[in-house]
Amino acid sequence: MKKLVLAILALVSFYFTSAAQEQGKPNALQNAVTKLDQATKAKDFELLEKEFLQIAAQQKKDWLPYYYAAFCNAKVGFINQDDGESIEPFSNRGEEQVQMAKSLLDTVKQKKELSELYTVLSMVYRTKVFINPMTYGRKYGVLSQQYRVKAQELNPENPRAIYVKAWEMYKTPKMWGGDKEAGKQLATRSLALLQKEQSSIQPHWGKTENQELLGKNK
Amino acid sequence: MKTNFATYIIIILLVSAFSFAFGQYRISGTVKSDKGNAIPLASVLLSPSNKGAKTDSTGKFSIEGLKGKQVLSVSSIGYKLFKKDISLDSSLYLDIVLKPDTRTLNEVTISAGSFEASDKAKGASLTAMDAFTVAGSMADLSLALRSLPGAQQVGDLDGLFVRGGTGDETKQFIDGTLLKNPNYPRVPGVQQYARVNPILFKGILFSTGGYSALYGQAMSSALILESNELPEKSSAYFAIFPPSSNAGIQQLSRNKKSSYGVTLRYSNATFYNSIVKQKPDYFRGPEYIEGDANFRIKTGKTGMLKFYTNWNISDVGMRNADIDSTALRSSYQVKGKSIYNNLSYKDYLTDKWQVDAGLVYSYNEDHTINGLLNIDGQPVNLEDDALNYKNAQKLFRSNFAQGRIVFTNTLSNNQALRFGAEHFYNRDRGFSNDSTLAIIDNLSAAFVEGDIYLAKNLAAKIGTRIEYSSLLNKAVVAPRASLAYRLKDGGQFNLAYGIFYQEPLNEILYRSTDLKFSRAAHYMLNYTKKANNRFLRIEAYRKQYNDLVKTIPVINNEGSGYAQGVELFFRDKKTIKNLDYWVTYTYLDTKRNYLNYPFALQPAFATPHTATIAIKQNFQDINTYVNVSYAIATGRPYYDIRYSADDNACKIFDQGKTKAYSVMNLQIAHLFSIFSSWKQRPVSGFSVGVNNILGTKQVFGYNYSLDGTNKVPITLPATRFFYAGIFMSFGIDRTSDFLDKNQ
Repeated sequence: MKKLVLAILALVSFYFTSAAQEQGKPNALQNAVTKLDQATKAKDFELLEKEFLQIAAQQKKDWLPYYYAAFCNAKVGFINQDDGESIEPFSNRGEEQVQMAKSLLDTVKQKKELSELYTVLSMVYRTKVFINPMTYGRKYGVLSQQYRVKAQELNPENPRAIYVKAWEMYKTPKMWGGDKEAGKQLATRSLALLQKEQSSIQPHWGKTENQELLGKNK
Repeated sequence: MKTNFATYIIIILLVSAFSFAFGQYRISGTVKSDKGNAIPLASVLLSPSNKGAKTDSTGKFSIEGLKGKQVLSVSSIGYKLFKKDISLDSSLYLDIVLKPDTRTLNEVTISAGSFEASDKAKGASLTAMDAFTVAGSMADLSLALRSLPGAQQVGDLDGLFVRGGTGDETKQFIDGTLLKNPNYPRVPGVQQYARVNPILFKGILFSTGGYSALYGQAMSSALILESNELPEKSSAYFAIFPPSSNAGIQQLSRNKKSSYGVTLRYSNATFYNSIVKQKPDYFRGPEYIEGDANFRIKTGKTGMLKFYTNWNISDVGMRNADIDSTALRSSYQVKGKSIYNNLSYKDYLTDKWQVDAGLVYSYNEDHTINGLLNIDGQPVNLEDDALNYKNAQKLFRSNFAQGRIVFTNTLSNNQALRFGAEHFYNRDRGFSNDSTLAIIDNLSAAFVEGDIYLAKNLAAKIGTRIEYSSLLNKAVVAPRASLAYRLKDGGQFNLAYGIFYQEPLNEILYRSTDLKFSRAAHYMLNYTKKANNRFLRIEAYRKQYNDLVKTIPVINNEGSGYAQGVELFFRDKKTIKNLDYWVTYTYLDTKRNYLNYPFALQPAFATPHTATIAIKQNFQDINTYVNVSYAIATGRPYYDIRYSADDNACKIFDQGKTKAYSVMNLQIAHLFSIFSSWKQRPVSGFSVGVNNILGTKQVFGYNYSLDGTNKVPITLPATRFFYAGIFMSFGIDRTSDFLDKNQ
């Protein structure tokens, strides 16, 4: 009898504590994500990466803080893409953080989340190519593409995976299969899908990135 | 209230854990840095149970349900892997301290005196491809590396003239072993091609001095080449660049554990020379036939066996006006044959021990025929005439074999100990007119070298090398040392010192073997900084030569010399998008007293100021690459040194300085796709180029007649060199796609 009572109490307590966590969590993360929505400079992303890592240390079961930390590192790499070797520490941290986030996901059931994560991993590998395209391009260019394809398989309607493909199409020279027009169309499609998304703590970035890509087509 | 519930649940969990996990234990603990700071997010893994966890923000972790023998490994970026064997018979609490990994945090690598071009290059460091795609390099590594500081622009000779050293003082090594004859036989005044295709190498270390104790017998410079690993896929290519054409395949086995490759090259300039007028009147070729083959096999888990063979034949014959007589012409023909075989093996014996072994056998034959001709082109025989020495034949056959083994022990903190031994066997025989010449030399060497990390930002490489030559019957000890100090901002200072010995050249040894090794001491200081796709390098050095060979009055070792200078290298890939350029400046002050020099002179191959620029622009939108290289150098000295019977010594009868040298080379390559119906299109392209596009008149020196009255400039055989051609490369799998479609 005593055991049963304890068990019931335990179940109840589990419910409450997790509920309390759910409530406590968004504030810090929501704040950071709001800041992320407005970040433009490499320095902003560097600072936000630290903030996300602090949140990750508190919310040990949540994949999102690691996901966002990795995204910040990918952004730093994309912004500083002409800086060669100085990108490397960001790429390495990004890769590590993606693995951390992945360990917190149920990779069988959480397909949409995994699609988001692979999109960021694809971007992280792309930043490795920037370190020195001649020596790093062959390995990481291929990996970047593979993870973008996986992300699209997991969720064909993921606007961010579509954006990464748009970027690939836009930047790849024509003779290697690139197509600026197709890139532009993909970016437009990604933007249309983004319209339907609500601003929340779930991944919803992509508008500025797509617009930047389209801006170059003017 | 909430905390109370939490306590209950912990009790429940513990009770249930005890109830079904009997005999299983828990490992918990903290992970901290050597400074005592908690390391969050470190991965803790146990094998073979395959359970793992990440440390929390305070560095704590806990893993349940373990038993028996386990290997605990803890890793975190920026720290060295921590490994520990544990045997569980109770739960454990561990305080783990991770040491910082100097490789990622503060990489200090010793780099005084060397340029590394490798497949591991980051940012603006050089890759092998960067090095040999410099315009005007003609697929010759030595010519490509002349765009780096330290090398002289010597337009009439092949090889690398580094820091006051002759071309013979630079040696090339492939996978550790010597490449004895890198270029086709010398033709006076005309640069000859390299025999080995640089595309075979993924790593090039161009040392302009102070190189490692693992290499020897090169007083000035070592060019250390590392061959490619297994290709990623099978492929084939062909290229037609009149006057030369070549084709090759690389086949990767199905299990991706082995590969083989074959290439063939043929070049005959007869037709080209009939269009672009050449100063010498060529009656043979120049013609070169070359083939190479290789295989690479992965052995076991970590081993790699590589074999490379290269064989070639060349024939060059030319006629020039005779310098001593207007009534005569002189002819020169050289026929070359060479076979080179290199077998190398690399494996990890344990985690910490690596072995590198190599075997080389090469055969080289140079047959030179000099002759005097009359105006009608008929051979003339002037018996008892002073000029009759110009009717001469020389034939040399050289057999060379080398065996080498090196063991490397990797120690903690990126430190390493290397030691090994090698043996060189040389058998050279030949005749010059009626006299037979022969030498057999056995040279043995043993070496040891250590990489020592003295502090986080201070590293040293200290080594020594012992060499013994049976021919000279002498042994020498060559110490080497270098030091690297890393600054906080990523810049690095390097210091290097070394003694380098070299045997006298064969043409001397045929005449006398009562000689010593020649000796050079190097001292250098360098500063490098790499950041944000830019790379700056400044180096100052002093080099002291002793025991150089003198040929007057008798062959002896009483020559000496020095070289000192400052060199600058700056590469920038950042400032302009898709534009990659580097600039170099070389200042050289050198004098030497050797061979027939009456006293110490600035040698004829050395000039004080040299500057080079290499520019590569990639126009991505139109798949076009433009390569430009430019070099400018002050004039070189020239001398008419002859034996004077009056003084019973050699005397300078005339001397001067050539005009300043400048050359600009241009290459444009365009990639395009044809056969677009193929599933995977082959990569095709064409390339056009001109060497010395501005047509500057280049004078490399002067030849003097025997009496010194006639002085003829040494210039390029033709002012400009043009080339144009197409190439196509495709994966073999893709051709089968094509074949299927067309059946």
